[in-house]
Amino acid sequence: MKPESPSNLQRVLSDGKFAVTAECGPPRGADPEIIRRKGELLRGHVDAVNVTDNQTAIVRMSSIAACVHLSAMGLEPVMQMVTRDRNRIALQSDILGASSLGIRNILCLSGDHQTFGSQPDAMNVFDIDSVNLVHMVKVMKADGKDMSGFDLISPPRMFIGAAANPFADPFEYRVIRLAKKIDAGADFIQTQCVYNLERFREWMRLAREEGLTEKVHILAGITPLKSEGMAKYMAKKVAGMDVPESVIKRMGGVPKGKAAEEGIGICLETIAALREIKGVHGIHMMAIEWEETVGRIVEAAGLSPRPQAA
Amino acid sequence: MIVGKQKSIAEIREIVSPYKKLLVLGCGTCVKTCFAGGEDEVATLSSALRLLFKKDGRSIYIEELTVERQCEDEFIREAAVAISKNTAVLSLACGAGVQAIARRFANVPVLPGVNTTFIGVLEKQGLFTEECLGCGDCQLAVFGGVCPVSRCAKKLQNGPCGGSRIGKCEINPETDCAWQQIITRLTALGQLDNLRKYNPPKDWRTSHAGGPRKLVREDHVI
Amino acid sequence: MIKKIQPQITLFYCINAFNDRASLSVLSGVAFELKTVKMACSSMVKDVFLLRAFEAGADAVAVFVCPEGQCRYVEGNIRAKKRVNFIKKLLDEIGLEGRRLSLHNAESGDTENIGKIFRQILSDINDMGPNPAK
Repeated sequence: MKPESPSNLQRVLSDGKFAVTAECGPPRGADPEIIRRKGELLRGHVDAVNVTDNQTAIVRMSSIAACVHLSAMGLEPVMQMVTRDRNRIALQSDILGASSLGIRNILCLSGDHQTFGSQPDAMNVFDIDSVNLVHMVKVMKADGKDMSGFDLISPPRMFIGAAANPFADPFEYRVIRLAKKIDAGADFIQTQCVYNLERFREWMRLAREEGLTEKVHILAGITPLKSEGMAKYMAKKVAGMDVPESVIKRMGGVPKGKAAEEGIGICLETIAALREIKGVHGIHMMAIEWEETVGRIVEAAGLSPRPQAA
Repeated sequence: MIVGKQKSIAEIREIVSPYKKLLVLGCGTCVKTCFAGGEDEVATLSSALRLLFKKDGRSIYIEELTVERQCEDEFIREAAVAISKNTAVLSLACGAGVQAIARRFANVPVLPGVNTTFIGVLEKQGLFTEECLGCGDCQLAVFGGVCPVSRCAKKLQNGPCGGSRIGKCEINPETDCAWQQIITRLTALGQLDNLRKYNPPKDWRTSHAGGPRKLVREDHVI
Repeated sequence: MIKKIQPQITLFYCINAFNDRASLSVLSGVAFELKTVKMACSSMVKDVFLLRAFEAGADAVAVFVCPEGQCRYVEGNIRAKKRVNFIKKLLDEIGLEGRRLSLHNAESGDTENIGKIFRQILSDINDMGPNPAK
């Protein structure tokens, strides 16, 4: 890929096509085969593969390294980067390094707090927050300067993403925060998993009212549910998740062996509904350790084949 | 005030065990207010230690004293005689007090009996909460009098994060989400627009990140 | 000759709950040594007083308070209860057994209850042995 060429994800979105990305969690180990296997499952079904950065604060293969393994297979990675573990010096350095390795998409996050992870005794960093990180990448890319104002010899090329949670509180502030991320330089937004369509529609309506959907590409988060237990767990234990009682009931209303099918069914209905919402430019699939289902859902949703890179 | 919590008896026993004559030295300011190291705590801890050592068949001489503040020479002086009579000092002051005593008495081991926990307030009887991290660059005017540096688990300058639910922090349902409070306060004050403005990365030089800090007041230096 | 050592009990009592030492005569014939400390309210029992009773050789310490909701000073008995629980934990940490310290509702004249309380305390001392920090 030439340095000046945009990422595939950027091209799909700017062409006005409905984008599909999927999440891929690196392994708790050094074996690249695991990443390659996950990549193989996603090949052809998505426009980019989103690689988490020590998600849930559990030590895993670094996002940058896993992105490089995917790149080598001809898949386009989205590198997640959290401000929990690195200060601004390390963040900038890793962005330059990632760009040098051909990584063209970044998703800027603050990261799950380490108390949720396997090493709650760790010190966190949080030198800057996710909005600051978006702004930092934007300035590096657009102005060619690092945070000290130094002219970078060659600026990083990055399509900049940020996260939004339409389901967290306080609701009325969520759109203000979205606007802040866009002003800071976000090109695309990935949302928390959508199960509560009603609340999501309301959030999108507010975003449209503020003119935000004209300025940014919103990708709605999708996670297929495997079982009633998973639905309950997500509803109660996962921070910032909104799984309505009706969804839990539906998952519990079918025999255990059919629950996964029901989950996929819910997914497909949600995707169909999302495609009708003005301003939703794509979906982001987070099929946690269930990557094999992504291709099936994408095909069944009529989102296959994916646009070919020019 | 500075809030602290007395160390466990087991840990205190461990650190005082080499000494035969011990001065348990209280501090009558912050740690007294939070029941960690005032006169009452000195008396209770000393009694507990005497019982503990007696039970173990060991003898220890314990002297009890509480001064107004262990972080000021003027009050430290009041403890000089008692310190000279003992082989070690178990200070129930905050970390600053322990070090101030150590600095003045080069040949006496000074041991901490309290874990200094935070700068906070007495929210209600028996409940102390952290309110300040001493970052050295107070921005409470922007945040409606609620500090995101000390009270947000991620120190977010442009919060809240996606984990704020029903006014509570995702890392602990007992903890209020500072950002929810900031928004509530600013809404009440009619200053919610403060939050539309991008808050740039914090300059941490004024905080501990810049190394141990010093304050010089030339007008008071003689 | 080994002198038979009698168990020592220190009793802290609130005079509003119990001010009738005659009630203690129910215990005559039981061999133990009793020290009593009377207080205008059970909330006057500070942490250190309880510990010092043990330092003075008590094998067990009892605190008599008014029933909850009946404290003349509203919450004195609740404070006493919290302190007693705090010191019980401390005694456990020291290795003296928190069980040596107990809190009871007792009323003057209720000799049956008082007798029961003391018999329980003496039986506990018998189980635990004398105060090891004597």
